[in-house]
Amino acid sequence: MSDNEVVIKVENLNKFFPMKKSVFSRAKHFLHAVDEINFEIKRGKVLSLVGESGCGKTTTGKTLLKLYEPTAGKITFLGKDVTHLLNAEDKKWFHSKTQMIFQDPFESLNPRKTIFDIVSEPMNIQNFGTLRKRELMVMDILKRVGISPPDAFLWRYPHELSGGQRQRVAIARALVMKPEFVVADEPTSMLDVSIRTQVMKLMMELIKEMNMSFLYITHDLAVARYMADEISVMYLGRMVEYADSEELINNPLHPYTKALISAVPVPDPEFKRKSVEIKGGIGKPIDPLPRCRFYERCPFAMEVCSQKEPELIEVKENHKVACFLYERR
Amino acid sequence: MRPILELRNLKMYYDTQAGEVKAADDVSFTLNEGESIGLVGESGCGKTSISMSIMKLLPENARIISGNIFFDGKDIVKLSNDEMNKIRWAGISMVFQAAMNSLNPVYRVGDQIIEAITTHEPNVTFEEARQRVANLYKLVGLDPERMDNYPHEYSGGMKQRAVIAMSLACNPKLIIADEPTTALDVIVQDTILRELEKVQKKLNMSMIYISHDIAVIAEVASRIAIMYAGKIVEMSDSVTIFKRPAHPYTVGLMSSFPSIRGEKKELVTIPGEPPNLLNAPDHCRFAPRCPFATDECWKSVPSYSEIETNHFVACFHPQNLKKRVSANV
Repeated sequence: MSDNEVVIKVENLNKFFPMKKSVFSRAKHFLHAVDEINFEIKRGKVLSLVGESGCGKTTTGKTLLKLYEPTAGKITFLGKDVTHLLNAEDKKWFHSKTQMIFQDPFESLNPRKTIFDIVSEPMNIQNFGTLRKRELMVMDILKRVGISPPDAFLWRYPHELSGGQRQRVAIARALVMKPEFVVADEPTSMLDVSIRTQVMKLMMELIKEMNMSFLYITHDLAVARYMADEISVMYLGRMVEYADSEELINNPLHPYTKALISAVPVPDPEFKRKSVEIKGGIGKPIDPLPRCRFYERCPFAMEVCSQKEPELIEVKENHKVACFLYERR
Repeated sequence: MRPILELRNLKMYYDTQAGEVKAADDVSFTLNEGESIGLVGESGCGKTSISMSIMKLLPENARIISGNIFFDGKDIVKLSNDEMNKIRWAGISMVFQAAMNSLNPVYRVGDQIIEAITTHEPNVTFEEARQRVANLYKLVGLDPERMDNYPHEYSGGMKQRAVIAMSLACNPKLIIADEPTTALDVIVQDTILRELEKVQKKLNMSMIYISHDIAVIAEVASRIAIMYAGKIVEMSDSVTIFKRPAHPYTVGLMSSFPSIRGEKKELVTIPGEPPNLLNAPDHCRFAPRCPFATDECWKSVPSYSEIETNHFVACFHPQNLKKRVSANV
């Protein structure tokens, strides 16, 4: 296992949802939730997908873990094509090595199961180890995520736990099988401020310790900056900018990224933000026209922006942007 | 400046089967005409309980034990429901948490606002009310033509604007905005906050912003009250709160917030979790999580006192009186 090993690679990933009027009609329109997305995550690295609600971040995460079947494109996991997992063995292998952490710890834990049942479920499904071994592993991971003493919690139910503890249990469940790739979908947005920092720090430690690769989905650029090595900004199913996190925060190129950054409130009453005026609201990518999706709202829109779609091109080392303002003409 | 609202030693408890929940315990503050204050705290710290006490929209098991709420010189704790009905909306109005769900889905949005006007001002004719709603729409940045649409035809941000327009309908002197932008995307949040600030200045209204997000509060409030476990632990003008926080909880809160501005800082976590307000202890409620706690803190409740001009703190060991914010608590 070298450090530069690519754990997951996505090439031209598409996910369209048919917009049906009724069960019997054929879909005439398609919602382009994820449209031609490319990225790769190396071992031990964190990539953050940032964007407003409805931009396709969650769909990307779910498609990567095969919770949705991709419409087109290729997903390579540990050098193996996993776009279409056909036989049971491959499925088992893939799902034992990938996991997901969900947003709402109040909904993602089954209220009728004990903490032990919840955390050991991945092992159950994978038929892993003896009961004794599972118990040891559950205790071990619970201790690791800061639920201590673990034996006092094993037989409790989720309703007996606070929000922060529940999210820790959800993290424990995701990590108990020592996955190599985890998708975390807004794991801290439902938590209180003081608890949120604790959970963020915990995840950082675990990522380092277990050398996992993470896809961290969030709407909060400040959180992404703190958690991720690289940040990718999405807008209506398209990736509009991709760079190292500090570079993206300090030197955003795409007008949308600039607007997004300028809209984040700053915890400093003396600081006056410069506002970037963008018009209108976010739409839905239903049968999008072949032009820049930010065209209508962009303060710098040019003629070419309405004629074709910009490609994501590298304008600086490790800084890609999909905007005609930066394309060499 | 004339005080518009004054809370004096307000105690509001909930009776539950398990015992008394001290949701607001000895809360005092004064709000002047045209001033905006921010109420910050984690969930369950009593922010919403205070706003509900001011509106007297309390559930059956809630009781105001003692204390006074003076609105415009009148103690509203003693008012009957009928008398209170005259003050609600016309004197004090509220923008509720999750405002998008507070519109009735089967009535046109404009009609719902007209209803609020005609109920409180029976002399106003329908046409006049309609004209007023159109003006309100312009004020909050909505197209008056959208008055005859139903809530489902509005986007989240538009609903929020409509709800703000509704809260302004009867020219109230005080608006309580309870997490007005929590469910919205950053760019929409930004425009709504600017809109609110503009309207507040223009109409010279007083405003109470309630939020868990100190960055949002930093932008809109001129004075900030930090709440912890049913008590105000610190209150001052916003610059003092951010630059020289004195209560250890405030200090922790400030340094546990990720920011996209400036150097990437190590985040500091506040250990532990907020306490249960059920049968609250008679010592400092922050003591179990406080790095500076001494025997004194475990024996008695610190009094809420003025440590410097207009800077109130309830702590035996106030921090940073001379130096600036230290990042390491």
